[in-house]
Amino acid sequence: MPQRSRGKLAFVLLLLLLLQFYLRPRLWDSRAAPDFIMLGLLIYATRARPGAAAVAGFFTGLMMDSLGPSRFGAAALATTMVGYLAAWGRAVFFADNLLVHAGLIWGGVWLRDFIVLLASGATGRALVWQLAVWSPVQGLTTAVAGVLLLVIFRDWLAIRLEA
Amino acid sequence: MNEQPDRARSRSDTVVFLACLLLSTGMLFAPPARTARLASAIRNSILVPLIWMQQTAEEGKASRSRLALIQAQRDSIALLAQGLPALRDENDQLRRLLGLGQRRSLEFVSAEVLHQTSPTDGLTLLLSAGSADGVARFDPVIAPEGLLGVISSVDRNTSIATTWAHPEFRASAYTDGGGVFGIVAPSAPATATEPLLELRGVPYRDTIPSGTLVLTSGLGGVYPKGIPVGRVVGVIRELTGWERTYLVLPAANPGNAAHALVLLGSAELSVEGAFPDEEP
Repeated sequence: MPQRSRGKLAFVLLLLLLLQFYLRPRLWDSRAAPDFIMLGLLIYATRARPGAAAVAGFFTGLMMDSLGPSRFGAAALATTMVGYLAAWGRAVFFADNLLVHAGLIWGGVWLRDFIVLLASGATGRALVWQLAVWSPVQGLTTAVAGVLLLVIFRDWLAIRLEA
Repeated sequence: MNEQPDRARSRSDTVVFLACLLLSTGMLFAPPARTARLASAIRNSILVPLIWMQQTAEEGKASRSRLALIQAQRDSIALLAQGLPALRDENDQLRRLLGLGQRRSLEFVSAEVLHQTSPTDGLTLLLSAGSADGVARFDPVIAPEGLLGVISSVDRNTSIATTWAHPEFRASAYTDGGGVFGIVAPSAPATATEPLLELRGVPYRDTIPSGTLVLTSGLGGVYPKGIPVGRVVGVIRELTGWERTYLVLPAANPGNAAHALVLLGSAELSVEGAFPDEEP
């Protein structure tokens, strides 16, 4: 990746970090608010090698675990897998298409929640409710935020978006 | 910019991925004290500006969107407080008649709840008050509606509260009026979409009607007596002839809590001063 592209990508990731900690708390219910950190991880993962994406996922998860350590290591495990799979999948399957990106973001958020809940020992109907209602809603809001971001920064992120 | 698929699936990528997986899994099964120290170190270093930013945002949101609600609550409390001096006088007189000392008052510090995006956010809460504010481990955390949990980890400016929804939460409780005692623990009944509580160890001879208020008993030295925990919904299971377990609808929801009070030094409170000197 060229130096200039790295700088632009770093700026977008920094912007997402600020949105996560300054804008998201001002939005609606935190369970449905977009997860800008996951969005940043997925945007990075689709532009990096799987190994680098796994490392980025690991440190992202470490940060999440530190902020809410109900089961320390669960988020690190989940985001490592999501980062690696997103990078691997992007390299093999995905095209530069808005809907594909939106689907990748939605799936990434849902998969993260699924792994975190399983690793945390969640069971019963509350687990099903979280995975069937709250995780899809958060995935949807994150995907919408992601599409907006990709449209706004498409030149910086060097992607050719199809309809 | 994009790498070739064959290169992306190279051995080094796989090794790095497996190493990250191994580290994550290791942290999952590491002793909680060790991971708590690691989490605390991260919160007190690179996350300080981000937590400060979130705290500022939460305070900004509270000052705007919750102003009307807070004003309404303040008016209701002011109305209730009008009768307080008379009640306090009456209570003092009765205590003097019974030979009891002065009632102990609790100090508290208020904190913003800094919610995270993780699906397990309600199990632990990040609070914007820490040791600099006098918060210590095992201080109870309450919301205006009732009990939220207990402080499990303290940093200088933040702290982590383990809520009643956490699998390891336990509290001694009793029922209002009836005086039936039991242990409150989180419950995950098959029919509930949100976590609930259960009151365990209720003797079979005692029956608790639905709607009965459950309060902390003060036994155990962590939670002071009288904090609302929830209301009884019904019997969830029973050991015939031995004990019943009741389902309790929690009074406070950690997932929605925006503001919390940390009761300071409740574990160190002694009831010694409340009793008269024993005669030799």
